[in-house]
Amino acid sequence: MNGGVNVAAEPKIVAFLCNWCSYAGADLAGMSRINYPPNIRPIRLMCSGRVNPSFILEAFERGADGVLVSGCHPGDCHYISGNLKAEKRVKTTKRLLELLGVNPERLRLEWVSASEGERFAEIVQSFTDNLRQMGPSSIKSEESEKPAVKSALWDYIKKTNVQYCIDCGKCSSVCPIARINMDYSPRRTVERFLLGFEEKVLTSKELWMCSACYLCRERCPQDVRFPEFIRACRTEASRMGIETACAHGGVLLSISRLMTNPNLEQNRLGWLPEGAEIAKNGEVLYFTGCLPHFDAVFEDIGFEGQKIAQSAVQILNKAGIKPVIMKDEKCCGHDLLWSGDVENFEKLAKANVEAIKKTKASKVVTTCSECYRTLKVDYAEALGDLDFEVMHMSEFMSELISKNKIKPKKKLDVKVTYQDPCRLGRHMGVYDEPRNIITSISGVELLEMERNREAARCCGVSSWVNCNKYAKDMQIERLREAKSTGAEYLITACPKCQIHFKCVMNEKLPVKPEEVSMKVSDLTVLLAQAMDLT
Amino acid sequence: MKDAGSVLVVGAGIAGIQASLDLAGRGVKVYLVEKEPIIGGRVAQLDCSSCTIEYPIDCSICALNNKVLECLNNPNIKLFTLSEVEEVSGSAGNFEVTITRKPRYVDEDKCVGCGVCAQICPVKVPNEFDLGLGTRKAVYLPSPQVLPRTFTIDRENCLYFKNGTCRECEKICQAGAIDYNQRPEKVDLNVGAIVVATGFSLFDPSAIKEYGYKRYKNVITALEFERLARASGPTKGKLVRPSDLKLPSKVAFIQCVGSRSLKTGSGFCSSVCCMYATKEAKLAKERNPNAEVYVFYIDLRVFEKGFQEYFNRAKKEFDLNYIRGRPGEIREDPETKNLTIWYEDTMQRKVMQLNVDLVVLCTAIIPRPDNEKLAKIMDLELDRYGFFKNPEGQTTVDTTRPGIFVCGCCQGPQNIVDSVSQASATAAKSAETLALNIHGGK
Repeated sequence: MNGGVNVAAEPKIVAFLCNWCSYAGADLAGMSRINYPPNIRPIRLMCSGRVNPSFILEAFERGADGVLVSGCHPGDCHYISGNLKAEKRVKTTKRLLELLGVNPERLRLEWVSASEGERFAEIVQSFTDNLRQMGPSSIKSEESEKPAVKSALWDYIKKTNVQYCIDCGKCSSVCPIARINMDYSPRRTVERFLLGFEEKVLTSKELWMCSACYLCRERCPQDVRFPEFIRACRTEASRMGIETACAHGGVLLSISRLMTNPNLEQNRLGWLPEGAEIAKNGEVLYFTGCLPHFDAVFEDIGFEGQKIAQSAVQILNKAGIKPVIMKDEKCCGHDLLWSGDVENFEKLAKANVEAIKKTKASKVVTTCSECYRTLKVDYAEALGDLDFEVMHMSEFMSELISKNKIKPKKKLDVKVTYQDPCRLGRHMGVYDEPRNIITSISGVELLEMERNREAARCCGVSSWVNCNKYAKDMQIERLREAKSTGAEYLITACPKCQIHFKCVMNEKLPVKPEEVSMKVSDLTVLLAQAMDLT
Repeated sequence: MKDAGSVLVVGAGIAGIQASLDLAGRGVKVYLVEKEPIIGGRVAQLDCSSCTIEYPIDCSICALNNKVLECLNNPNIKLFTLSEVEEVSGSAGNFEVTITRKPRYVDEDKCVGCGVCAQICPVKVPNEFDLGLGTRKAVYLPSPQVLPRTFTIDRENCLYFKNGTCRECEKICQAGAIDYNQRPEKVDLNVGAIVVATGFSLFDPSAIKEYGYKRYKNVITALEFERLARASGPTKGKLVRPSDLKLPSKVAFIQCVGSRSLKTGSGFCSSVCCMYATKEAKLAKERNPNAEVYVFYIDLRVFEKGFQEYFNRAKKEFDLNYIRGRPGEIREDPETKNLTIWYEDTMQRKVMQLNVDLVVLCTAIIPRPDNEKLAKIMDLELDRYGFFKNPEGQTTVDTTRPGIFVCGCCQGPQNIVDSVSQASATAAKSAETLALNIHGGK
């Protein structure tokens, strides 16, 4: 299409209509022989509240030019407030569409009652007209040929050392999930696989429970890379068409997939703080990751993603660095890779590496521990050696402090504890730098949790595939441990940890809220505060 | 004058001693070189095996001391303690060897082993022989039952060597055996064959952080357990746990600490732990019949004649609990110092936890780090693990250099019986080398 408008193409509209009002309204329009454009494909739902942002994104992904969500008028919902939920979700989705560079007008929310056949027809007419003017949507996912041959699963699996397993069970004894869920055991998964029950492993629920926290890998005496083994199995399972239920309806994975589209023109720099100095080319590149997108989805639990990104830029500016921030940066692909979608991961990796190359950056700094691992390890594994060095913001900031380029001058008077993110700690071995930063701030007392560094416990979820009651139990256990240190703040260096801990604190818990509730913040934000930047 | 009728034996543990006795019995002159001030090696540290099995040999208390005494009294054996091999040249039948003797600062011929010097010595330091569980003086005998019963001054800690003061031991010694002026000396030897019997090292379990060794007081190694159990040990045989010196009532043994481990430790099986853990588990139960005793294992490797029966009997008569599973985490209760072990019972397929008073880590036999140095001096090859290598197609006592033989745990992990058998084999092989050279076999 190359961006040119194809006049002949008629817009396709997917319409999610509630059973009680809007679908009945559409029916009335038909029975009353009212004419309206044949561009809509209605999908009947019991309530507009059933519409998850991921449904809308998937419609766009599969080629819709517009999406209509329609339900009962406020106050008329047959389930009391389902339509109000829909309103909120549509708002969130519009934010996400905007970030992806899609005109949010392509998504419409309209209230249509069962007696408003005429109104329904008018809405469809005006929406179709608008979409004709806008032209076809550009974010349709590219059709890709699925490889017909079975993947080289065994080749990869051999690299994960599973054949060296001596069945000792050390992995299961430390696995945070196996301690809560009696049906889960990494040892048994490997045993089953080695005994030839490959399909049983690939089709089991347990395949999707691992959070790749690396505790088993760290402890395994035989160096079995269980998390990578699970990743390979998930890849194979995905190719077999086995799907798992992802948290938040898979909306975040949809966003990642949508970003593989080369025609995308994102609109993702709205978060930049006033007066921030950034560059198009330069030595240091700040890789923002999905922070702006997370803010759209997790605003209600008090997640502050933009603040992390803003703090990072302000700290870099203060050190005299004008970081490159890419308008066309894509998701790093971590979640796709670990949930089995290697093809789309590789597309994202290629796009990002090419875009980074164009900026001539020699250092890429991330505030997200997952981006850090993915860029540094998985990109290099998929695409060969990279032309740039990847650093986590904690490493970079620690270096700036030791070189006296930045000074945390403000006294903070606060007790904090530090959560080692799995991807930063056990995956990459970065333990000291975050602690150096915390202890360099005057008035900040670092109280270590009993299980820290290599023995730190996971925040419970990864890649949105294993959010369940076991994850909640893990989070509660970890928060209790954090709380028992006497710290007021739980500092982490991965936005995902922050999301997961804040999420569980917002739920109905089986424990007293005061046992687990504490303030959660990011290391970069803490340092920015100590530098008096926020 | 070429002296082809002699053999150098390096290391006076049970293997080195056996080789020496076998050779001396054949009329061969033996030079037995030992790095430590005493002989007997690792076996001297162990507690009674209560005649484990119907075996041709017993453990340290019964068998070793007899052998050590025989060795000290045999006119054909010349013992060099505190000595190390420095240089080796020549070839099979005619090796030129230089050894260095470190000064003992006590005259071996004059010392009668009465021990008044140690009583008066004001310096107390941790005793290496007891793995630091007990203390010794700066002039000392590592343990009451060891031989030769000659005291040694430890130069590092002696006040006289530190600042020229004290000299109390010199004043009190009636035999006049204290001699601060001894110097290291070099001794040149000419031998026809060499036996290497330098033994093994033990894996340091503090590398496996999750077990908390050195962090948690009540996590000890199996050798430490042996020292605690032995009557001549630091607690005079009272089996107690370190934190409160109380008799433990719940004891867990963990097998394969550092062995069967490709990442931390060594890939091979340590081969003796399943048996000694059973012995020690039995011992814990004997000392406290009300104790609950657990052994965590991966596979039971009780593979020699009589071993399985021994294991069965121990399990049945002593009501020992064997759990299949390698624990992944140990946590300490900061108040009681009790320990919680997390493990998967792989038979029941359940992840569980167990609270105990004392954890004993059965650490792996690993090659001595100084094997490399000795291999260089003797021009020998090591295998991929760091043990002395046997050339392909030859016996387990041959090395890569003709005329030099190897026995005991410096060749690979093995039990006492096998070490002694290998030692006898090296004696036979050495005698063969000597015979070929004396009777013109060239």
